[in-house]
This record gives sequence, C-alpha cells and structure tokens, in this order.
Amino acid sequence: MSIRVPLLVGAVILIAGLTLSMLLTDYHLRLLNLAALSAIAVIGLNFAFGYAGLISLGHAAFVGAGAYGVALLTTLFAWSPWLALPAAVAGTAVLAMLIGVPLLRLKGHYLALATLGFNVSFSIVAANWIEVTGGTNGISRIPELQIAGHALTDERSYLWFALLVLAVSAAVAALIHGSRHGRAMIAVRDDETASSMTGIDVPRVKLAAFVLSSVYAAVAGGLFAFHMRFISPEDFGYAHSITYLAMLVVGGEGSIVGAILGALLVTFLPEWLRFLGSAYLAFFGLFVLAILIFLPSGLAGIRRPRSFRRHGLMKWPALVAASKEARP
Amino acid sequence: MTDLIQLLINGLAIGSVYALAAIGFVIVYSATGVVNFAAGQFVMFGTFAGVAMLLNAQLPWPVGYGAALLAMALFGALFFVVLYLPLRASPVVTIIIGTVAIGITMQNAALLAFGSWPFRLPSPVESVNLTIAGATISGHAVAVVIVTALMVALLWLLFFRTSLGIGMRAVAQDIKAARLMGLKVNRLLALSWILAALLAGIAGLMLGPMWFADTSMGDPIALKAFAATIIGGFGSLPGAIVGGLFVGLSEVLGASYVSSAYKDLISFGIMILFLLVRPQGVFGERIQDRG
Amino acid sequence: MSLLQATEIAKRYGGLAALADVDLSVGEAEFVAVIGPNGAGKSTLLNVLTGLALPDKGRALLDGWDMTRAATHKRVRGGLGRTFQHGRPFERLSVLENVMTGAAIQSGRSELELRERAMAVLDQMGLAAEAQLPIGSLSYGHRRMVEMCRALACEPRVLLLDEPAAGLNSAEVDQLVDRLTDLRTKHRIAIVLIEHNMGMVMRLAERIIVLNFGCKIAEGTPSEIQSDPAVLSAYLGEGYRHAGV
Repeated sequence: MSIRVPLLVGAVILIAGLTLSMLLTDYHLRLLNLAALSAIAVIGLNFAFGYAGLISLGHAAFVGAGAYGVALLTTLFAWSPWLALPAAVAGTAVLAMLIGVPLLRLKGHYLALATLGFNVSFSIVAANWIEVTGGTNGISRIPELQIAGHALTDERSYLWFALLVLAVSAAVAALIHGSRHGRAMIAVRDDETASSMTGIDVPRVKLAAFVLSSVYAAVAGGLFAFHMRFISPEDFGYAHSITYLAMLVVGGEGSIVGAILGALLVTFLPEWLRFLGSAYLAFFGLFVLAILIFLPSGLAGIRRPRSFRRHGLMKWPALVAASKEARP
Repeated sequence: MTDLIQLLINGLAIGSVYALAAIGFVIVYSATGVVNFAAGQFVMFGTFAGVAMLLNAQLPWPVGYGAALLAMALFGALFFVVLYLPLRASPVVTIIIGTVAIGITMQNAALLAFGSWPFRLPSPVESVNLTIAGATISGHAVAVVIVTALMVALLWLLFFRTSLGIGMRAVAQDIKAARLMGLKVNRLLALSWILAALLAGIAGLMLGPMWFADTSMGDPIALKAFAATIIGGFGSLPGAIVGGLFVGLSEVLGASYVSSAYKDLISFGIMILFLLVRPQGVFGERIQDRG
Repeated sequence: MSLLQATEIAKRYGGLAALADVDLSVGEAEFVAVIGPNGAGKSTLLNVLTGLALPDKGRALLDGWDMTRAATHKRVRGGLGRTFQHGRPFERLSVLENVMTGAAIQSGRSELELRERAMAVLDQMGLAAEAQLPIGSLSYGHRRMVEMCRALACEPRVLLLDEPAAGLNSAEVDQLVDRLTDLRTKHRIAIVLIEHNMGMVMRLAERIIVLNFGCKIAEGTPSEIQSDPAVLSAYLGEGYRHAGV
C-alpha cells in the first residue's frame, strides 16, 4: 500500500477531532477523550481479531496492565510519565508474550474462554493484591502529562494529545495492514494450512498479532491512567473486553476506520439514548443486537460494494456450481 | 470435621446450581453451536421470576414455582426467536456479542423492574435443619442437591428414553441428517433453548435462598458455568455436572481453607490449566473447532 | 542424488494403513505422477511430505535435508510447494496480495519488490489482468491458478500438485498442461502430480507411481504402467475408460 492512505486516515482523524474539540462542552469532550482512547485499544484488537481471527476476551486486561504499569511507576517509583509509558507498554508486551505462547494454541471459543479466564484472573489479582494495586480502592494521584511545560489537565488539551496519538496509531496500523505482516495475519485467519504452505510461520504470526494488539491496548491504558489520574480494577474487567470486541464488530471488524467508528458509537450511544431515562442501557443492548443483525459487516461495511467486502462470502462449492453452470 | 461436612454440603449445593446452569449452556451449545454469554442472566431471571411470583405476587410456593418456570420457558422461546433465528448463520463472535448484548438488556430490564436492592428468596424447606455427625446442615442445601440429582435423572430419561429427546440428540449430532429424517428441526432447536431456560430457572430459584440476589448476579454465575463446562468437557453433559460440582466445592473449600479473596482464582486457574493441558476436559469429547 | 526423497513412509489412521512403506524419489526438474483409486493414500502422501501429517515411520529428505519432522513453513522455505485439491486461495486478500504473500518467503524484500515479483508470476501464468480483483469474483479455474501462482511465488524447487485439473474444462486443462511443461523446462521445477485425468498424466509424466490401499503397486514410465497387469486390474482397467482421455 502507498503511504497516502495512512496519512489520509491520520489527517482526517486530526481535522475532524480538532473541529469537534472547538464545538463540544467539557462533558462531551470527556466522552470524546474516552472514545479516542478506546479507539486506540480497538485498533489494537483489530490486529488480533480483525486480521488474525484470534477471539480475545482478555483485551481489557492488557489495557489494565498498561494503566497499572504507568500508575505504579509514577506513584510508587516517581518515574517521569514519559518514561513510565514506554516501560509499561514494554512490560505489557512481555506479559502478552508469556500469556500468548501457551494460550494461542487454542482456537475459537476455547481461546475466547481462556482469554476470558485470564481477564478475570487479572481482575481478581488487581482487586486483592492490596499492597501493590491498592485493591478495589485503586491507585490515585497519578501525575498529569506535561508537554513543554504545559500540563494536560483540561479535557480539551488532553483531547488534542489523544487525537494525535490516535492518528499516529491508526496510521501505523494502516501501514502494517498494507505490509507483508498484515497480509500474513489476514492469511492466517483465512486458512492456517494454506498459510503454512505459503511459508508463513503460523504460531509466530498469531503471537505477533496478539502482542501487537496488547501494545496498542497498553498505550490506551497508559493514556487512560494519565487522563483519569485514578484507576481501579473495575475499569479493566472482562466486561470491558467484551465492549472492545463489540466496538470492533459494530464498527466493522478488519477495518481501522470501522474500529474508530465502533469506539465512537458504542461510547456515545448510551448518551444518545439518555432520553429513554433509566431504561437506556436496556435499549443499548437491543440496539447493538439490531446492528449485528441488520449490518453484519458493521458500520464500515455500509458503503463498501459487496464484491470488496473481505468476507469470502462465496465458498468454493458455490463457485464450482457457478463455474459448471457457466460452461458451454 | 463438622466444619468440613458443612462446607462439603454447601459446596455441593452451590455446585449443583452451577451444574444446572452449565447443563443448560451445554444443551444449547450442542444443539445450536451458540456459546451463550447470557447464560448467567438466565439464572438471574430465574431468581427474579421467583421474586416476582413468591414475594411480589405472594403466591403459595408450588403455584409460584410453576408460574416462574412457565415464564422462563416462554422466555427461552422468545430468546430463540429474537436472538438465535436472526443470528444463526453469523460468525461465532457476532453470536457471542449478540448474547452479551441481550444479557445487558436482560440485566437492565431486571434492574428497572426490581431495583438494585438485594432480595432474599424464601425456600419451602428453610425452617428445616438437619444434624449429621454433629454438623448442622441447612435443609435447603440438601434439597438443592436432591432436586439437582432428580433433574439429572429426568434429563437422562428425556434424552435416552423418549423420542423427543432422541430427536434433540439427533439434531445436535447432525442437523442436516436430522432434517432429512423428517424431524422438525426448528421445533427441536427451540425446545433446547426452552430446556436451557427452564434449567436456569430452577437453578435461579434454588440459588435465591442461598444468596442475597441482586440483578448483577448473572455474570459471576456465567463465569462459573463456563469454568465448569471447560473443566468437565465442552459439550458433555456429565462433564457439566462434574465440572459444576467441582467449581462449587473449590469455591466453598477454597474460601475457607485458602483465601476468600482468591477463591475464584482456583477455579479459573484450573480452567486455564485444563484448556492448556487437556482442552477436551475430563469427559473428553472429540474436539471440534466450531469456532 | 535426488532432490526429494521419501523412504519407507508409513502412516496409519486408527486401524487403517493409509500408507505402508511407500518410497518416492524425485530428481531435479523431473515430472512424477502419483495415481491410484480414491482412498489409495495419494493425499496422505502429500500431507506427510508437506508436514501436515507426521509419518509413523520413514524419512523424508529435501536436497539431503532431513525434513521428516520439520514444520510445514520451514519445508516451504526449503523449496517445497504445494497446491490443494479444490484450491485454497486467501479469500480476504486480492489476487495480487495472495501472490505477494508467497513472494514474502524471503525476508528483507521491499513492498515494491514483492509487488514486482508477484506481478511477474501472474504475468507468466496469464493472470495479470485479474491482479486487483478480490478472490470472490474469480472463476473456479482462476481461483486454482491464483493458488498455483502463490505457490510459485515461494520459488519452489519441487511443486506438489493435488488434482490441479479437477473441475477445469478441456481448454483450461490444455492451458494447464502447457504451463506445467514450461515450469519444468524453463524454470527447472520438479513436479509431483496427483491426478485422475489420465490423458494429462500420460502427456506430462516421465515416471508414474501407482498406489493402491496405501501400497506402491507399480512404478515406471507411462508405457510401462499402461501395460502393467497389476495396475490394470487394480485401477486402470476401470479408471482408464472413465477418465475419457
């Protein structure tokens, strides 16, 4: 792929976000911040699930690992936030590798439940290892980020920073998608046997996709910690993993734009449903279900012509039949 | 020693509830291939159906239980129509998220109807206490184990001694062949959802008196049912029973002998261990990658 | 020494011997066909050679390298290529991207280089016009050609083809025969062909190996095989007529 697409994606994110940041109230800016951070995590999940087809229900644990990483390094060891963030991301990548090597041998719902178990275990440890994590009270007084002496304390300036990171994340993801590594992940999801027969080291590609997704998750988690400046285990429960997956599927799995749209929609949908009063969450579930039923390729699939949906809707038996009919 | 007996009975009682939830989960999974993440909310609905009938409507317990289970059966049929039929051809992840979405709706609908205040469901045998070897055992716990054993026996009769149950097994094994044999496949699939809802209802009614029930109880139960299913063997009914009892026992014994904070790590740790070493579980059925 | 050498390969599935002490040797740029009735063990042999199934017994050497237990992708990097019975291109990738996946076998190539190599292979196999299309829009024959291009982009020295002519019409079969001849003569690629189309086998193969019930019952030139009584009774007696040359 040419360099233009990633640049375009990044530019659109920045321009749209900057325009919005001028128009919205503080409360909505806060939501937009959360949506932008979720979008980073979901773009990461897109590597594991959207490309490589690994059903991970443990993504929130990696977001949590990044968040706890920066929180601990900055509060306990008084590291600079700018040092703590890459360290936490690297630590999360190592964790993902340790988890991934044994777990990625599993497939389908076995992998889903194993990663779910990992997320639940993470929550239990975070909630009970009080000496380190502060238990359910969490960790507070996380320092704010500073850029050239300017502290990112208000929602608007934090949003600008978050959008910048999101734009870079999306552009890098687009580059990877268009590279041999992206193609290898997509190939592995399509057909593992045929992939290995094309010289692809399938376990390694899966692990790479999983670790890459955890790196994005850790970046999102670290930024979440600097944004909220307080974290607790409930921010990273397995329900959040399912939310990330829902964002990806609603937006359109396999698509970076879809990941961003999904993160936006699922973050703002409850707000838009507020007019329903206390019933809004009940309708939220039905709304998501309706999207799954009526837009099976997600929001990003709306304007794509059928022939270009990377879904492999036509399987070979259908094609055999079709080609036989076409013959004179 | 008296402690141990008490703990064992309580563990078996909790485990029975998990086992019933897991059986419902397995029946649906084998018949329809759906990994139902709303399975815990089914149990929650069962408890709150009991709350509605026994506490709110003040029905006598045989009538109240009957009404609650009837409501659950109807709900199972509704779930079949609203979730399974439209999504049956979708990828496994879409179905997972669909069941989660409906689970969110179920939980919040219950929250709207009943509020967040916890309820304690009465039990018909709650004044009965037994003494075994010096240990005081709650009659309800014993009743739960007995009812579960009865349910398992009834299920066995259904699946192996009635044409209806044999038809359901045929559908679970090979849906195309079953259709060719002239079985009314959709009706049997609907029946498996209804059966799952009924089992969850019974589990919920029995769990209500053991816990303070609130509308957020569903998710933890679903997790335990998953762990039970993996440990016992995905898709295996005996596995669901053994797994459920194991999870219940490890939770109760772990809380008292190891650490109440980390009690759940035991079952999830063992679940992950099983996934890594023996993914087909104790009652290893052939692993088929339905995902 | 031969390029691909399998000795005394045995593989059982349950109580059934899918392969019993089968030997196979393929020299450089040689064209060997493996024939036999359905269930004779032909696909199992390819699976053992490519590492998709591990043999119970025997060894497989690729240019002297013992690959009997090596992972599939390492064998491919060592020069082994294969296509599957009904074609398995990657559905989510375009034609060009499919072939670029193969070209990435050598690390360190730039995107531009991958693209050029892939285009060269597509050109050679007559698929250049379809390069940007999604797999879903191709005819069955072209899907199978994409898979062949992908295998060729891996720069194999031995190519294993599992019934490449199945489902193709006679014009497509003729085209396939020409391309396979080119691969061997111009590109010096050795080919192991599993095929039911006897006309194609007899036109192309220098040597034919006949399997039946997992055992090698004959090996020789096409004319030797055609007159081999064991083969005639086991297979050709019936199969030759049906294959309808």
